[in-house]
Amino acid sequence: MSNLLIVIIVFGLGAIGFLIGRNRAMASGEGDMRNLHSLPFYYGANVGFSTMIPAIGVLALWLIAQPFAINNAVSGMLSADNIEAAGSRSLVMSDVRRVSEGLDAAVTQGVLARDEASEIAFDTTDVRALLASVGVALGSEVSADTLRAAQRYRVMANRGNLLKTIAVIAAALAGLAMSYRATTKDFRARNVVERGVLMLLICAASIAVLTTLGIILSLIFNTIEFFRLYAASEFFLGLRWNPSFSGRGGGSELGILPLLWGTLYISFVALLVAVPLGLFAAIYLSEYASKRVRSVAKPLLEILAGIPTIVYGLFALLTVGPLLVDVFGNDGLLGVGWMSGGTAVMTAGLVMGIMLIPFVSSLSDDIINAVPQAMRDGSYGLGATQSETVRQVILPAALPGIVGAILLAASRAIGETMIVVLGAGAAARLSLNPFEAMTTVTAKIVSQLTGDSDFASPEALVAFALGITLFVITLGLNIFALYIVRKYREQYD
Amino acid sequence: MEDMVHVERAMSTQQDIKIKANTVQVYYGENHAIKDVDVEIADKTVTAFIGPSGCGKSTFLRCINRMNDTIDICRVEGDILIDGEDIYHPNVDPVQLRAKVGMVFQKPNPFPKSIYDNVAYGPKIHGLARNKAELDEIVEKSLRKAALWDEVKDRLDAAGTGMSGGQQQRLCIARAIATQPEVLLMDEPCSALDPIATAQVEELIDELRQSFSVVIVTHSMQQAARVSQKTAFFHLGNLVEFDDTDKIFTNPQDPRTESYISGRIG
Repeated sequence: MSNLLIVIIVFGLGAIGFLIGRNRAMASGEGDMRNLHSLPFYYGANVGFSTMIPAIGVLALWLIAQPFAINNAVSGMLSADNIEAAGSRSLVMSDVRRVSEGLDAAVTQGVLARDEASEIAFDTTDVRALLASVGVALGSEVSADTLRAAQRYRVMANRGNLLKTIAVIAAALAGLAMSYRATTKDFRARNVVERGVLMLLICAASIAVLTTLGIILSLIFNTIEFFRLYAASEFFLGLRWNPSFSGRGGGSELGILPLLWGTLYISFVALLVAVPLGLFAAIYLSEYASKRVRSVAKPLLEILAGIPTIVYGLFALLTVGPLLVDVFGNDGLLGVGWMSGGTAVMTAGLVMGIMLIPFVSSLSDDIINAVPQAMRDGSYGLGATQSETVRQVILPAALPGIVGAILLAASRAIGETMIVVLGAGAAARLSLNPFEAMTTVTAKIVSQLTGDSDFASPEALVAFALGITLFVITLGLNIFALYIVRKYREQYD
Repeated sequence: MEDMVHVERAMSTQQDIKIKANTVQVYYGENHAIKDVDVEIADKTVTAFIGPSGCGKSTFLRCINRMNDTIDICRVEGDILIDGEDIYHPNVDPVQLRAKVGMVFQKPNPFPKSIYDNVAYGPKIHGLARNKAELDEIVEKSLRKAALWDEVKDRLDAAGTGMSGGQQQRLCIARAIATQPEVLLMDEPCSALDPIATAQVEELIDELRQSFSVVIVTHSMQQAARVSQKTAFFHLGNLVEFDDTDKIFTNPQDPRTESYISGRIG
């Protein structure tokens, strides 16, 4: 029976459980809702959930465990020769699975009788031709070993599926029966459902946390693999980024410093643009603008946050870059010749700064608005002007929040990819000239993993090491932000 | 009747008129909050505004230093003169005016700064001190006047927000008098304080009378009776009665005043 069908049956049982649970509760309360401990809905929900949740749990566990169990049992049957010929155990196992699926298909299409599928032998039947006739193409001839393993695999899988169906439906029925029996007018169904809701919320929260953990673990394992192939000291202290992709292996120089420098330089330029503009915009919106202006201007500013970063990248590449060359280039307005091409730290930094304005302004605006009116009144009452009030009373009071907003923007800037790919160029370079092309950690992660990459080579695995370095930096930044916010909050509350 | 006129004349010659309001009207949008208020507030006296909630006494108080300007929908008509000058004249800078007419609010609102910086805030923005020594002197003088110096002189760098409610309110008073105002407006300065802190602030108000004209809004009739020399009773936006405090509380002329004082309205 297919999993979908099983799930449908379980849900059906749950729905039935809901109805009969509610009816039983009503009956035990002699048809009067006021005699019950909880509303009838809660009794129904209790029975329904007790039916569905354990059953779905069993199904999920089974789906995870069964492939492991069968793989272990079957792969023991494969001979060492066979594995060596194919190159690895997992390749042979995927052959086995494919043959077993093919046999299944042959049975359902009537080419083979039910018993025949487990009886056909290697020397009597051309398995490859047989399976091809039912639409399952195999890459190579099927060996005796593989065929036997596939037959065994098929039998075990069928038996497992049958057991799974029985176990799941039994769990559903058991849950149904137990909760149905417990349903009497004094049963505290409302409290039980409340606890169920709590569990649901905890599950939702833990999925987010576990995903984060999973991401970190996958990064860590690949990073460890990378450092086995490439010296950590060269990675962290190397001044050159020069990966070779010729497949000859070796000869790559994978120093992170040029990339880190590019990242920090571009982020710095971006923050130099975003922080003053965003902060001034926030101050204008929250302190000076009339209600009408505010109601129009704030959403307009926030539109900036909704523009996809690739569009910003295009803007950098096609508009800002050439414009900067016109000013700072060889034949530019200033005639200084600092800039030779459109892609540069300045181009990416300026555009990224514009992208970050709404991050800074929107958060700062909320924070400034949260400063109590009493502070403003106190300052105005002493004869301070608006800008004196903003500078000396409101900004200091809002500072922790503003610092938080800025650090959040910094995290965004460090993690930004598309604008850098299009705006800053691809040359890894340690230079102070902001009009030169540079590249960032994120952009290099993209270029190392796109195209044909062999995941066993240091050139590809370096992406994970870069990723985890970036992660550690942004994490550190966030912790620092929290620290600052806490420290100032103690002082100002 | 003859006697009363005589007494009034005697008072007005004896004490200069500091603030004079002529037919003041205040509107919040469509709402007519203050109707035809005429009042003369003497220098170096404490004048109390009493009345039930929403009667307009705080609104009128905030007109005297133009704090209502910060509210968009608020509109003020009529004249308010301080030392004979119309404070709503277009040539008057409300920022300068507020330096001259200090204000203390209902809830203590010290800035999130040190005690010193709180008091030094006004003198700094108005350039009252030429150097650090002068500023120190102003801060000390203000804190002494506010009866706070002895409690805080060893911790001037501590946060103003870390003090007790009564200390915070006295800090706000010190902050207001540091700009050397001529009039001090107090909007229910004791409503967030406990009885002991209230007593301290009331004592302080009595001392401040030496140097300023003090106008205080209060909900407590006992407080008005204790601290003020003149009392104005507001009701539904009208100034019902304005007279010596003793007279208001012992022999009110208007039946509404009498009802309020004896607890029948409000």
